[in-house]
Amino acid sequence: MSDIIVVEDLVKKFGDLVAVNGVSLKIRKGEVFALLGPNGAGKTTTIHIISTLLKPTSGKVSVAGYDVVRSPDQVRKKIGIVFQDPSLDNQLTGYDNMYIHGRLYGLRGRELHEKIVKLLDLVELKDFTYKKVMYYSGGMRRRLEIARSLLHEPEILILDEPTIGLDPQSRARIWEYIRFLKKSYDITILMTTHYMDEAEELADRVAIMDRGKILAMGTAEELKSMLGHDVIYVTLNNDNGDICHFFNFTKSCRSLGGGKIELVVDNASRALPEVFRVVEVHGLRITEVSYRRPTLNEVFLHLTGRELRDSGESHTTPVLARRRWM
Amino acid sequence: MSSSLDALLAMLYRQLKRWWSARSRVIMTVLNPLIWMVFLGLGWGGIFSSQNIPNIPGLSDIPAMAEVIRKAIDSYFKQTFGGVSYVTFMVTGIAVMTAFMGSFISGISVIWDKQFGFLKETLVAPAPRSVIITGRIVGDSIVTTLQSMIIVLLSTVLTSELILTNIPLAMAYVFIASLGFTSLGVVLSLRFSSMEGFQMVVNLLTMPLVFMSGVFYPVTSMPDWMKALTVFNPLTYAVHSVRYWLVGSSTGFNYMNPWTDLAILLGFTTAALSLAVRAFKKATLED
Ligand SMILES: Nc1ncnc2c1ncn2[C@@H]1O[C@H](COP(=O)(O)OP(=O)(O)OP(=O)(O)O)[C@@H](O)[C@H]1O
Ligand SMILES: [Mg+2]
Repeated sequence: MSDIIVVEDLVKKFGDLVAVNGVSLKIRKGEVFALLGPNGAGKTTTIHIISTLLKPTSGKVSVAGYDVVRSPDQVRKKIGIVFQDPSLDNQLTGYDNMYIHGRLYGLRGRELHEKIVKLLDLVELKDFTYKKVMYYSGGMRRRLEIARSLLHEPEILILDEPTIGLDPQSRARIWEYIRFLKKSYDITILMTTHYMDEAEELADRVAIMDRGKILAMGTAEELKSMLGHDVIYVTLNNDNGDICHFFNFTKSCRSLGGGKIELVVDNASRALPEVFRVVEVHGLRITEVSYRRPTLNEVFLHLTGRELRDSGESHTTPVLARRRWM
Repeated sequence: MSSSLDALLAMLYRQLKRWWSARSRVIMTVLNPLIWMVFLGLGWGGIFSSQNIPNIPGLSDIPAMAEVIRKAIDSYFKQTFGGVSYVTFMVTGIAVMTAFMGSFISGISVIWDKQFGFLKETLVAPAPRSVIITGRIVGDSIVTTLQSMIIVLLSTVLTSELILTNIPLAMAYVFIASLGFTSLGVVLSLRFSSMEGFQMVVNLLTMPLVFMSGVFYPVTSMPDWMKALTVFNPLTYAVHSVRYWLVGSSTGFNYMNPWTDLAILLGFTTAALSLAVRAFKKATLED
């Protein structure tokens, strides 16, 4: 029972659209697990199925040993969740939002009051305890939601894009809480994000998700080692797909389309002169060149041919939910 | 189960707290019926009384005859309005109308929960959906019953004919009816995803229901086709019973009495509540 969440061959269709297309993953007790992927990858849909809000089209999901379809109430008791879209009652105070949550989970009286005070203190909202949520800033709301999700002491904390739409300072603060929780509580955290630095900073293991599928899974180091030490990107003026055999001295070569080529090498500064020479010998011209130590972004590019940041275009927290229900 | 009770109380607390934290709105919800009561009640009240009947030329020569006619007119009005003045008659109806309108409007807040996301918070809680929505409906009904009671208390300024000791009984009927109407509001709001559609239906539905319930005039003096519709309007029975307790006389069709009213209202509320629970379960199950 070291795997606290087990997802097997999960598929979710909305009409013709396949939002989740055969996802399998195992999340170990006590780890921080991040689902990393661009908009529309199916992260939220996966999270909603795990938290019993959506029914899977097919596949099996169990949380702390309970099947999400057959024993949703058992699952709900085990998890605390912060949704991607806001889910607070803006007309009520921070305290009342916490209080109602506590009552919904069967807490009451002095014990409930003390927990509320303690958690609001933890997320630095003590001074706003009795202020209505409508007067909170975006970052404060997010912190209140995190405090609320911890109130019933869940075994599993689910955070769907915890820092979306926040300024760098607020992001840093939320990262701190997540690190603190990991250190001080015996809690498993499942989070989604489309920021690679967030996944890299916080997660023990990362699953890269795109178009409903998990493309790769492992620690950030493991994922990056797929690419070796350095990655060189060369864009040529000639979009002739068959140029890779020129670069047989590199560890791997892949055409990313549009004349862009990804070369994996041990040491970019040594390899670059040779790359230039080979291109010149074949009468081609380089229009752009760059090299990087691989980050998860390069891993994503390697797996999909697209940049993670390109696909994660500006994305702020919507005031009104985008969807009809969830 | 005690955990269900906890969840029910949590939702109830939330609805009451929301109402209380928007006190300025509370004044608005009372102001509107108050305007009806004062202007319509006092305005028509003068007409439905022999005091303001002008002297008929020639009749003043026969004072005894004039007196008889006056008495006849008075007794006709008294009979029509259940033995009380028009103001008293109408005020008791307005009290029910307030609860009815308030209940329907509270259906809107289900849409808001949906749009502002609080709904999800309740859906991941380990409590059955039926309990969540029932808690909401009960909370809203308590609110509308309180509003109705405020109206009754305020109306004592306009009339001294109300039987004040019967207020709790009357409010029990108002509460039962409110449960039903709030449930209907919930059902409707879950059918319409847009606010505009919902507003339109509310307007198209509530006004005719109010006019065909005996709030402003007795059901017995309506044209036959209207009478026929009135019978199927649950609001009719709420108005009749509340008026019965507050005024002490019956102003409806022969079969109406507090017991038939209660039976019909209970039947209606049970049906509406189960529809609301069904609609809520369905709407949150999705795809
Ligand atoms: N209730 C729904 N009805 C229809 N389509 C939906 C619904 N929910 C999600 N989708 C679709 O499923 C796909 C996956 O969406 P999902 O929200 O899971 O992605 P995501 O990875 O969370 O993206 P984001 O970063 O934007 O939050 C999208 O194409 C989306 O439009
Ligand atoms: Mg999402």
